[in-house]
Amino acid sequence: MALIPRRDQLPIPPKNARVHNTVCQYCTAGCGYKVYVWPVGQQGGLKADQNAFGVDLSQPQPPLAGLSYTETMHAVTTGKDGRQYHVVIVPAKDSPYNRGNYSIRGGTNALTVWSLDRGTQDRLEYPLLRIGDQFQAITWQDALTLVAGVIKGIRDRDGNDDNITVKAYDHGGSGQGFEDNYGLGKFFFAALSVKHIAIHNRPAYNSEVWGSRERGVHELNYDYTDARLADTVVLWGANPFETATVFYAEHILPNIQGNTVAEKQEAFAKGEPAEPGYLIVVDPRKTSSYTVAETVAKDRVLLLRPNLGTDYILANAIARVVWERGYYDMAYLQARTDMGLFEEYKQKSLKLQVPYAEFMAQVERITGVPRAQIEKAADWIAKPKAGKFKRRTLTIYEKGIIWNMKNYDQVAAIVQLAVLTHNVGRPGTGCGRLGGHQEGYVRPKSPTPGSIYRGGPPVNVDKFLVEGKGKFYWVVATDPYLSTPNSQVFRKRIHERTQKLTRALGQGGEPGTIQERVRKILDVLYSDPDALFMVVQDIYMTETARDAHLILPAAGWGEANETSINCQGRLLRLYEKFMDPPGEAKPDWEIFKLVGLRLADLYRAEGKAQEAAKFEFGKNWKTDEDVFLAGAEEFKDNRVSEEDEATLEAENYKGVTYKFLKEVGQQGIRTPVRRDPKTGKLVGTVRRYTHKFGTPDGKFKWYGSDDWEGYPAEVAKYLEGEKAKQYPFWVTTGRAQTIWQTAYHDRHLPVKAAALPLPYVEIHPEDAKRLGLQSGDLVEVYNEEGNGTFMVYVTDAVKPGLIFLVMYHWRGTSNSLTSGYTDPKTTIPWYKGTRANLRKLAGSIPSVQQTASLLQQNKFD
Amino acid sequence: MTQTLSRRRFVKLTAAATALFTAGGKAQLGYAPSLTYPAVKVANVSQVKTGQPVTFSYPDASSPAILVKLGKPAVGGVGPGRDIVAYSALCTHMGCPVQYEGGRFICRCHYSMFDPAKAGQTYQGLASSWLPQIPLRVDGKGDIYAVAVAGLIWGRVKNV
Ligand code: SF4
Ligand code: FES
Repeated sequence: MALIPRRDQLPIPPKNARVHNTVCQYCTAGCGYKVYVWPVGQQGGLKADQNAFGVDLSQPQPPLAGLSYTETMHAVTTGKDGRQYHVVIVPAKDSPYNRGNYSIRGGTNALTVWSLDRGTQDRLEYPLLRIGDQFQAITWQDALTLVAGVIKGIRDRDGNDDNITVKAYDHGGSGQGFEDNYGLGKFFFAALSVKHIAIHNRPAYNSEVWGSRERGVHELNYDYTDARLADTVVLWGANPFETATVFYAEHILPNIQGNTVAEKQEAFAKGEPAEPGYLIVVDPRKTSSYTVAETVAKDRVLLLRPNLGTDYILANAIARVVWERGYYDMAYLQARTDMGLFEEYKQKSLKLQVPYAEFMAQVERITGVPRAQIEKAADWIAKPKAGKFKRRTLTIYEKGIIWNMKNYDQVAAIVQLAVLTHNVGRPGTGCGRLGGHQEGYVRPKSPTPGSIYRGGPPVNVDKFLVEGKGKFYWVVATDPYLSTPNSQVFRKRIHERTQKLTRALGQGGEPGTIQERVRKILDVLYSDPDALFMVVQDIYMTETARDAHLILPAAGWGEANETSINCQGRLLRLYEKFMDPPGEAKPDWEIFKLVGLRLADLYRAEGKAQEAAKFEFGKNWKTDEDVFLAGAEEFKDNRVSEEDEATLEAENYKGVTYKFLKEVGQQGIRTPVRRDPKTGKLVGTVRRYTHKFGTPDGKFKWYGSDDWEGYPAEVAKYLEGEKAKQYPFWVTTGRAQTIWQTAYHDRHLPVKAAALPLPYVEIHPEDAKRLGLQSGDLVEVYNEEGNGTFMVYVTDAVKPGLIFLVMYHWRGTSNSLTSGYTDPKTTIPWYKGTRANLRKLAGSIPSVQQTASLLQQNKFD
Repeated sequence: MTQTLSRRRFVKLTAAATALFTAGGKAQLGYAPSLTYPAVKVANVSQVKTGQPVTFSYPDASSPAILVKLGKPAVGGVGPGRDIVAYSALCTHMGCPVQYEGGRFICRCHYSMFDPAKAGQTYQGLASSWLPQIPLRVDGKGDIYAVAVAGLIWGRVKNV
């Protein structure tokens, strides 16, 4: 009956089990975890002094306060010594962030370890070489010779690295951290000079928030404690109940419930009102982050549902109300912001030259949000409290803003509203990203440009490849066949281009040696300019890897030491290694080191010592910590006073060592880390921009928004004439609690795969009724870009006329339907808006209906 | 009266993994039910009304449980409509009590929700383990017995 394997008892870690600190491999929250490892065959006892938990297990644990050790928190792995080990991974009680709390994703950390009794046995264990339509095992030695040989051959012929294209992560967590980012950066930017590189989830090398950074505000500026102290929390295009779950459950919700009032009284000024928090959610969907809060505090929650793409118009309108009602502090603005540029903001963003009533009527028409709601939002964000105390509002935005139409203007509008109302740099305030994954960026300067205002925009590498340019494509720890916009077109083209090389290599017999293979690959690449050589480096076989010529096995989370920061406080911690990688898999930094050294050998053999030296960046890297410490050299001198923290990079960790991190454990230290000029001690930064902004003169730089210009051609085509009838639905896309940041593992875990076997589409009950659809039916969603089959969820999360597609499911990706549009200022795609139609397929799949829950996910009352 | 249900395995088991179940006799990695459970009468089919939960304790007094008739067939459901199911009433997230309301189990500590018709799966919220389902058996008189627990009850390392 159980659908999936269940347990009714679990092994107890003995007193002598190895104990490690780590951080969840998944989302932006970065919850702390404890790992216990011991050989199979041993077992601890029930008494507190008989087990490594130090907990009396003879009695049931008390709710909330007790130890959570559930079925999904145990696994058995095999070590390099050939022995089997129990691995138990439980939420850390001593983590100040999660305090023993955890989510449906982090709770399965243990299930993801490489284990022979479940789907994770599919991990890549050794390099694989494509021979025709097969992958064959090869040694690292041969794999390195192949990669280095092809790279050198391209450089020899071209005299530059422009035909080398890369798609790679730039983040922390998920088995990556500062170490892997630095190894990757040294190879592609300092040894090679790769311009055609794109970041894991988008088609170019760019920040997703230049609209904030160019104002002087790094996106990670608030602390999780600010969510406990805020008078109002604004969630703008962010759904943390599902995508930063413990942050919402442990910090935002208690504030809305009124459970943090005492903390507010402590932190606030004398006489300042401290009350239960308010919540504003801005989202086209009625998200669970809204409906949970609505269940606990109906009168203190507000939902604004703008038309797709219109959020920046809405943000500027709220700012206009703030201006009209005088909810700002002119002395602050004059002291801390660039008043020359402020004139431009007043004219272009606030449009003070347009009479208020006329302005608001325009905004209502464009955004679809009633004027009264806009004015109410302005009151909740900025209306001074009794006693003229400034309100404290924390604004958190994420992909609803970032992956919106006009990325730059969207982000800029939101951060400007926050600064206009002095809601940055005070306890209970801030304006930043929720984040997706954790962060860990440290790299030499990239040879890529900035936004359109800083030499850009950067090249769209997807389009570069689709147009038939580039000869070498190295995909590192990402699956662009699912994740890139307009991905059906992309997939078909990369398949076609890699096939050309595969077929040519097989003609006249496969090359006999690796050297011969290198020669033949280069011959083909330079005789057929459309042919493409692809390397995929990952932990599993991915959709993209199916077309690769060479697959390199990487180490995952827990298989090497690594460091990352979370996004709600930049909490830097050591993620300790607790087990060996499977087979011959290696950490990414080591793979780049080894490819570099092989290239150095090739150059040295030709007497090119200078070129060889560039590729020897990793020759002294013996341990993970060597790479961590080498990375620190990229940061500025951090001997600065607290007043000057804004001059430091957000990730600056200069002076921090693994030893230091082991000592602080789950407490971590918040970046940017400063070396206090007086004491020389390392000090973290709780909250940023209290004293200055991150610009040369320390002042915030205003920006004048673009006017509303309607939709870009790629989507506007669906709004006119016949096509408006053919593609009647607006489409938005997003994530789901169960598989957020986890699908690469989840497809191998019964507890997840059984619950969400297919990608789904949310449809409003009225639309479903009209089309004769029920939850569980299969439909094809299609437009001119592509199509996919999705399972129907009928829900009022979407409005009539709007459908929602879950992103990145392994059985089908919403990105097949997204357009190729990117913001001309930043090359950031609009993943969350297009048009489509849907067609009912013949009924449903009974086995899927049997296992997948069809209950409404946003209904908590 | 006691009963042990046969193990059902849904994942590939390699020889290596199978060896674990016997390693040192201590590894304790069998699939549920791997323990000996009491059979406890909970209700009679004729008394159970659709949507009206019956609370009981199982397998011992400190383990609250809920039996409910869903009105539509469920995974593991018993009775004429195969729609009577029972679950542990302790949320598998952090052990708060779950309530049966509106056709599903909900925990109001952090808002995890479980589907009673789909083996107690977490369809929303924080709990990474599904709600433990209590296999039921109906005898000739229509008496419904709880006979085991498929899944670990929160707060325990062993159900009994
Ligand atoms: S909220 Fe995020 S970091 Fe925390 S346990 Fe869940 S997935 Fe991991
Ligand atoms: S204890 Fe039930 S959701 Fe947390």
